[in-house]
Amino acid sequence: MFLAPALIGFTAFVVYPLFRSAYFALTTYNGLTDPKFVGLDNFRRMFTTDPSFWPSVRATLLLVVLYVPLSLAIGLALAVFCNQRMRGVGLLRTLCYLPVVLPVVATITLWKFVFNPQVGLANQVLNWLHLPTSEWLSGDDSAMPSIVIVMLWSVGSTMIIFLAALQAVPTELYEAARLDGAGPRTVFFRITLPLISPIMILQVVLQMVTALQAFNQPKILSPDNQGGPGFSTRTLMLSIYDNGFPRLGQVSQFGYASAQVWVLFLVIVVVIAATARFSSIWTYSDHVS
Amino acid sequence: MTTSPDVTRAPTTAPTPAAPPTKPPGRAVRKATWYAVALLISSVMILPILWMLTVALKGPSAVFEVPPKLLPHEFHFKNFIDGPKVIHFPRLLLNSLVITGLSVIGGVMTSMMAGYALARLRFPGRKVWFYVFVGSMLLPPVVGIIPLFQLFKDIGWYDTWLPLIVPAFLGGNPLFIFLARQYFLSIPHSIDEAAKVDGAGHVRIFFSVMLPITKPAWITMSILAFQMSWNDYLNPLIYLYSSQKWPLSVGMASFVTQFAGQTPDWNLYMATNLLYMLPPLIVFFVAQRYFIQGLSALGTVNQR
Amino acid sequence: MKRWIRCAGVLLSAGGLLATAACGGSSGKQSDGKATVTLMTWESAATNKAIDQALTGFHDPNITVRRIDTPNGNYSDKLAALTQAKKLPDLFWCGNDTEQQYTSQGLLTDWASRLSGSSDFGASSFVSSTMKNWKTADGKIGGVPSLLNTYGIWYDVDAFKAAGITVPAAGWTWDQMFDAAAKLHAKGAKYGLVADALTSTDGPFSLSTYALSAGGKPFADNVHQPTKTTIDATYTEGVGKVVAGIKSGAIAPPGYDISNQQGLFAAGQIPMLWSGQWLAAGFLTDKPKIKYGFAPLPQVTKPATLYDAVGICTPSYTQNADATFKVLKYLDSTVWTKVLPDSPVAAPAYLSAQNAYFGALDKAGQTTVAATVKAGLNTPTTIGVRFTTQWASQSNDLITAYWPDILNGKKPLSDLQTMTDKINDVIKNNS
Repeated sequence: MFLAPALIGFTAFVVYPLFRSAYFALTTYNGLTDPKFVGLDNFRRMFTTDPSFWPSVRATLLLVVLYVPLSLAIGLALAVFCNQRMRGVGLLRTLCYLPVVLPVVATITLWKFVFNPQVGLANQVLNWLHLPTSEWLSGDDSAMPSIVIVMLWSVGSTMIIFLAALQAVPTELYEAARLDGAGPRTVFFRITLPLISPIMILQVVLQMVTALQAFNQPKILSPDNQGGPGFSTRTLMLSIYDNGFPRLGQVSQFGYASAQVWVLFLVIVVVIAATARFSSIWTYSDHVS
Repeated sequence: MTTSPDVTRAPTTAPTPAAPPTKPPGRAVRKATWYAVALLISSVMILPILWMLTVALKGPSAVFEVPPKLLPHEFHFKNFIDGPKVIHFPRLLLNSLVITGLSVIGGVMTSMMAGYALARLRFPGRKVWFYVFVGSMLLPPVVGIIPLFQLFKDIGWYDTWLPLIVPAFLGGNPLFIFLARQYFLSIPHSIDEAAKVDGAGHVRIFFSVMLPITKPAWITMSILAFQMSWNDYLNPLIYLYSSQKWPLSVGMASFVTQFAGQTPDWNLYMATNLLYMLPPLIVFFVAQRYFIQGLSALGTVNQR
Repeated sequence: MKRWIRCAGVLLSAGGLLATAACGGSSGKQSDGKATVTLMTWESAATNKAIDQALTGFHDPNITVRRIDTPNGNYSDKLAALTQAKKLPDLFWCGNDTEQQYTSQGLLTDWASRLSGSSDFGASSFVSSTMKNWKTADGKIGGVPSLLNTYGIWYDVDAFKAAGITVPAAGWTWDQMFDAAAKLHAKGAKYGLVADALTSTDGPFSLSTYALSAGGKPFADNVHQPTKTTIDATYTEGVGKVVAGIKSGAIAPPGYDISNQQGLFAAGQIPMLWSGQWLAAGFLTDKPKIKYGFAPLPQVTKPATLYDAVGICTPSYTQNADATFKVLKYLDSTVWTKVLPDSPVAAPAYLSAQNAYFGALDKAGQTTVAATVKAGLNTPTTIGVRFTTQWASQSNDLITAYWPDILNGKKPLSDLQTMTDKINDVIKNNS
């Protein structure tokens, strides 16, 4: 059957680990000796005594709140901008997509160097423009925004999807609106937005999941690779990794990490369910699925 | 009768140019602003890469000059040779190519087949399966890391490329399955009918008819799969023990020697980085056209 | 289409062949009595090459030594994965903390009997404090100390001269250091002192040297089996001074990215850098632009320093313990004498090999480094650099929750006591 390979893999590599990790979440397990069942202890520790949990929730929320609206707004704005029939727009589109094509690990380390407060490009540009410099990734308050900037650099993929959606809007609608004397703003808000609203909802969900699961950026960009300074960029994903694959001299806590994974997973599910619930209010659709 | 209407018409056309006399200069201003903004956006997108090129050409001590100079004094093209030498680039390149090549083939094949099944074959619960597959896209990959590691360890696939390749063959990627199904759904059934009339079974239809038509879809998937595998860092790091088996992504990490207190040779690193970025770039440029087309399948989703 | 399928088939089988070729793992056990001993280090490429070179001098017809490459920056990930897969190499570089944790879990081979039985490679052949620190509470020892780290302050002679300050030397005080940092910062350096050891999670331990030096109590009474942590008046005084230094901008705050600090120091951008003696080896190959020196850690009244020895561990499932021990002995005694002259990374814990190290430093003209390391080795008052316990990650999280904010002035000094109380809870829960 056509479906066979996908099914086998799905069961083996998705379903099985899912259940196994649910089991691990209820144990203490250092990967070397057998797991020891401890019931809900991990969750109790997470919510009460672990000094890193609530800060990591805060860091994760900050990331989501900063990243999602900006990536949607910038992605859409870029898409609208690139939807013009100007010469060179193809080149512009390619350039916008370029950061996405490049290997993530390579570009993230590049940005880390760009943001170096002493020898990086960012502060040099700021100096040149006579603007105040920043500590970027080393500052308590500037670290997370810096990470969001790096993530926003890859907004090209969001842009492409919006672009496709924009191009699917039938042009007769625009002409009819223009004939009725509608200005560009009205056109945008009354016609474009509603018609791309299903895509917008999809994008909201995708970007939220991306933000909640972001790992490479906070990990590699933070000065100590652990979500520093302090806990300012230690998102839940980083916390999970740190507990599961800890730095030298510390012991793995797979059980606890699995418990945290499930908390994150539940948050993602809630977010998606909520968005889906409200999507019928926000979207304009002329079919019923 | 012939000339007088033209003569009389001339003055009546005069008012219409009056309506947008501001249009030509207005349009020019709009055009100019567009190009200015476009330039700004392009530079934001490309400046870091240009800077990487600058650093790649610098000599070892010039990297830490304060303030950093945008244009290097000397052009150390040798960095492009020395850098790769540090990590045995050719061998790692070959590794990356094999691992990525196989993953791409596996991932795309499986996803296309699954998408076809979900779109064309009639079996109970196919909508449910679709939702399940897509739903799994939302699982944080970290959920599986530890159990998967234990699983592969127990089977004895540790320190082989198999954990990196087999899941592509056997699991497919939910995003790709989604794309595939959408694309197949958009193909009119008349094509299927025509092929069936010629006596083709599902397998024939799939290979001879569907695949050529859905080119944008699987080319897009191939590009995405290529990027995902080429960039994959965590998995090879966890599963591969011997340095000869590493792909480039792990090899690049060996430049960043924070442990021994040594500052990495940024100029060599950036030079090698540029070389590391070339293959995905080339793949992208070659298949750009199909890629944009393919992604628009995501953009025109109206049925869920 | 058919051609496409055939192409794919060829590619698949080619790939499959390569994949299976890549499948063959390594094995230390060979049936004809010969053994392969595998080795993994975290040293730089240059030092690794020197080690490989030195290992060619190991002549034993039945033993082959093979070094496994690993990217230094991810040594901990690699170690974690190998530990999980039960595929640790026969000999791997490890910190005191890893050794303590793994030995107490039974993951390492216990060398105690072999070390006590040997005269030329026994407990007395090593610096005495290392042996004491590497044994667990029940007398087991899963690794052998190899190198000792000495911490101190690297200083930029040119910057000091320009600011008109006397360069640091043995016996200099913390107040002198803070003062110098302020002056250097005023003279234009971004930070007069970069001391990640003070601002990271190791900070509470590093600052214990201040308290110890003033006659007070260190942060933890013991890093291997602590009973409690304390903050006394001298300790708080020290923290207060660091807070003032950070506030004035003279000292780099928590969050400073240290991945480039060596390069920046060598380029003259950091006038004082708290780090270890291992930078000396790097400075031999990448000569810094500046004239530099290495001074011991400052004191209040008497010298106090940090104790940190790294070593070589062996997993419990090593194929051939005898062969492994032979190679271990060769590594720790002889290999260093050959590697250190070109790459003086640290002082060996093995006493007879120490001359090679100091000789190399003298030959390279790094006299201050030699003097500081010697002084550090002879300082009686020491404290470990961090906890080596199983629950260290929990105390680290607590430290992260308080220490950076206290240093930045966001939390009051009184929170030091809150932090200590919570860590004491962790200790109690785990004893």
